[in-house]
Amino acid sequence: MNLLLSDDYLLQDYPENITNTIRSGHTTCLRFNRKGDYLASGRVDGTVVVWDLETMGVAQKLRGHRAAITSLSWSRCGRYLLSACQGWRAVLWDLENGTRFREVRFRAPIYTAELHPWNHKLFVASVFDEAPSLVDLSDPNDVKHTLPSAPRRANADADAATKEKQAKEDAKQMTTATVWTVTGDHILAGTNKGRLNIIDPNTHEIIWSEKICSSVVTTLRLTGSGRELLANSQDRIIRTFHVPNLSAEDLDTDTIQMPLEHKFQDVVNRLSWNHVTFSATGEYVAASTYNNHELYIWERNHGSLVRMLEGPKEEQGVIEWHPHRAMLAACGLETGRIYIWSVTSPQRWSALAPDFVEVEENVEYIEREDEFDIHPQEEIVKRRLDLEDEDIDVLTTDLRKGYDEDSGVTDFRMPVLYDLGASDSEEEFVAVSTGTVRRRSMGEAEGGEDAEEDKPTAGKKPPASKSSKSKKK
Amino acid sequence: MAGISAVAWAPDSKTIASGSDDKAIRLWDRVTGRPMKPKPLLGHHSYVYCLAFSPKGNILASGSYDEAVFLWDVRAGRLMRSLPAHSDPVSGIDFSQDGTLVVSCSTDGLTRIWDTSTGQCLRTLVHEDNPPITSVCFAPNGRYVLAFSMDSCLRLWDYVSGTVKKTYSGHTNEGFSIGGCFGSVQGEPFIAAPSEDGEIVLWDVKNKEVVQRIKGHNGVCFWVDVHEDTMASAGQDGRIRVYKHQSPEPAVKDINGVAGVDEALSDLAVTEPLIKNEDIKQET
Repeated sequence: MNLLLSDDYLLQDYPENITNTIRSGHTTCLRFNRKGDYLASGRVDGTVVVWDLETMGVAQKLRGHRAAITSLSWSRCGRYLLSACQGWRAVLWDLENGTRFREVRFRAPIYTAELHPWNHKLFVASVFDEAPSLVDLSDPNDVKHTLPSAPRRANADADAATKEKQAKEDAKQMTTATVWTVTGDHILAGTNKGRLNIIDPNTHEIIWSEKICSSVVTTLRLTGSGRELLANSQDRIIRTFHVPNLSAEDLDTDTIQMPLEHKFQDVVNRLSWNHVTFSATGEYVAASTYNNHELYIWERNHGSLVRMLEGPKEEQGVIEWHPHRAMLAACGLETGRIYIWSVTSPQRWSALAPDFVEVEENVEYIEREDEFDIHPQEEIVKRRLDLEDEDIDVLTTDLRKGYDEDSGVTDFRMPVLYDLGASDSEEEFVAVSTGTVRRRSMGEAEGGEDAEEDKPTAGKKPPASKSSKSKKK
Repeated sequence: MAGISAVAWAPDSKTIASGSDDKAIRLWDRVTGRPMKPKPLLGHHSYVYCLAFSPKGNILASGSYDEAVFLWDVRAGRLMRSLPAHSDPVSGIDFSQDGTLVVSCSTDGLTRIWDTSTGQCLRTLVHEDNPPITSVCFAPNGRYVLAFSMDSCLRLWDYVSGTVKKTYSGHTNEGFSIGGCFGSVQGEPFIAAPSEDGEIVLWDVKNKEVVQRIKGHNGVCFWVDVHEDTMASAGQDGRIRVYKHQSPEPAVKDINGVAGVDEALSDLAVTEPLIKNEDIKQET
C-alpha cells in the first residue's frame, strides 16, 4: 500500500549504500525468498538462519548440518527451504515448525541444490565429482535419478578410435551448476568444461548442449521471466544469454538457439568474479570480485558498467539481488557478515505539514475569486457534507500494487518465535533516515535483553499530565 | 498496580500485548496466561496508550503519552524505530492490511501515515476544524483510514488525495477516547462506533446513514469491535456485551443487510469468570 504514497519510482533502481549490516556466525551463502520478505543465510558451522527483512532480525534458526552450507533454495510458497552442505547432505526444512521435512544424503559435497519452481518435493543437485541427480521426495523413500553430464553424440558411424576418445572426454565432463527453467520443464546445467546442457527431467536426457565458455561454469541464474540466463565462469567473463521458450509445444531440439547477449569482464584488472546475480527485472547484473572489495553493477541494455560499490574492507562472496526491490545482500568472506545494500529515500517535509507543498522554483500565487469571501459556518459544513457523494469501496483490495501476481499460492505465515534467545543481529551503525532514531543493540545482543533504552526523541518533551489521561477512566 | 490502556491480539491469536501506565508493554501467552518474555518491552517515557500488531505478527506498534510511536521487533523484544510522531499523546494506531503502512493519531488533531520499512512520514491528514482524534483504523482493504474525532464525527479519509471522503455523525463523542471498527455482513460494509450515551451506532459506509442503534450500556460505551457476525462492546458499567447478527427474514430483507443485529446475546461482567470468552477471542 505504501507504493500509493511513495515516489520511490523516482529513485534509481540499483542500490547505492549499505543500509544494514547483520551477522549470525560466519555466513557463506544467501538466498531471498520469492516474496522478498525473508532472507535465508547459511553459515560455516552448518546452521541455516532465516532473517526477517522487515525487522532485520532472526526469524528462525535451523540446526542439522555439520558442515558449511553451499546452497539454499526456497519453495514457491516460502514454507520450505532446501539447504545443501559440504557434508554430503541436503535438508528440506519445513519452516512452519522449523523441523527437518526430509533429508537426502549424497556421496560427495554438493555444489548446488535447487528446488523445482512449482513442486517442493523435487529438486536437482550438482555434486562434486559425481553425476548430477534429480531427487524425487514424493515417496517416503527418496528416489534419485542420475542425470548425464556429457552430450549425446550424433556421429554413430565414427570409427572406434574416435569413439574411444570421445568417451574419455565425456567421462571428464562434470556438472558444476544446475538451475530449473521458470516453468520447471527443463534443467539447465553447466559443466566443468564450459558446456551448457539442457536436460529433460522426464527422460533424464540432454536435449541440447553447447560449449559456452572455456572454463568451469560456476553459477547459473535466470531472470524472473526466465528469458535471460546469466552464467559465471572461471574464465573471468560473465555472460548473459537469451533463452528460447523451451516449453513451446513445437520445440525442435535440433534448432534451439541460445544466443550470447553480453560478455561482462574487467579487461584492465583481469578480475575474476566470485558470484553473480540478476537484478529484479534483469535490467542489471551485479557481481562480487575475487581478491577485491568492490561489487560491480552493469546495465544489461547497453552492456555498460554503471556502478562500482565500495563499502566494507573485505572481499565479498555470495551476492543476491532482492526479487523486486533495489536491494543487494552480500556476505563478507573474512568476517562472515551480511551487508544489505539499498537505496534510501529522503524524507519529504511536505508530508509532515499538509498545508505546504514542495515546489522546485518560485511560484506566483494567484488569489482565487472567492478566497476571502465570508460564508456562514453552517453553510460551509453543509456544502462540505454534500460534496461527499463519491462511491467508496472499503472491501476490495487493489491487487495491482502487490508483487505476488499468482495469488493461488497457499498463504504461508512464518511463525513468530519468542525463544530465539539473544538476537545475533549486529547494528553498530545503522543508517538513520531523517526523523527516526535507531538504537544500537550491541549490549542487548551480548547480555540478553537490555532494559535501558537511549532514545533522545521522546525525552525532550515533558510527559503529559495525569489529569488529561484520566479522561478515559 | 498500573492501569492498562491498551491490548492487542497477535494475528495468530496466540499472543496478547498489553500497554500500561507503568510505561511497559507486556506480551502474554493466551493459553498459559504467562508472559512470553522474561522482561517487558521498555522504552516509552510515559503511559502506553495504544497498540497494534502488524498483519504478520512480527512488528508491534505502540503509541504513548510521550507523543512518540515506537515500532518493536516482536521476536527479539527490541525497539526497532522510534518515530517522533505528534505534539500531544498518541491516541490511536493501526497497521494497513499488507503491513507496509502505519497510521497514528493524536489529540493534537493530526493523523499521520508512516512507512513501516523506512519510518518516514508519508502523509499528514488534518481537518480544518482540527478536532482532537481519539482513535483511528484502516479500512479492510487498507485504502482509507477512519478517524474518530471529539466533535462527534467519524471521518473517512482518502490518504492518497488527503481529503475527507465521508463524514459520519449521529453519535456523541466529546470527552472520551472511544473506538470502533469496520464490519461487513453479506458483503455490505458498515461502520460500528460506540457513543457516550451508551448506544452502539452502525452506519452504512456508502450513504453515511445510520442503519441501526443498539442500546448497549448504562453510561458511556467505550469500544466496539466486530468479527464476522459477532460484535462485542465495552462500557462504563463494567460489562462486555456480545451481539450476534441475525439474518433478516427473506421476505423483509433489508437492503443494508446490517439491520437485525439482535439485542445483546450475553453479558460478560468483568467481575465474574469469563465463561463466554471464546466469543471474543478472534480479532480480525
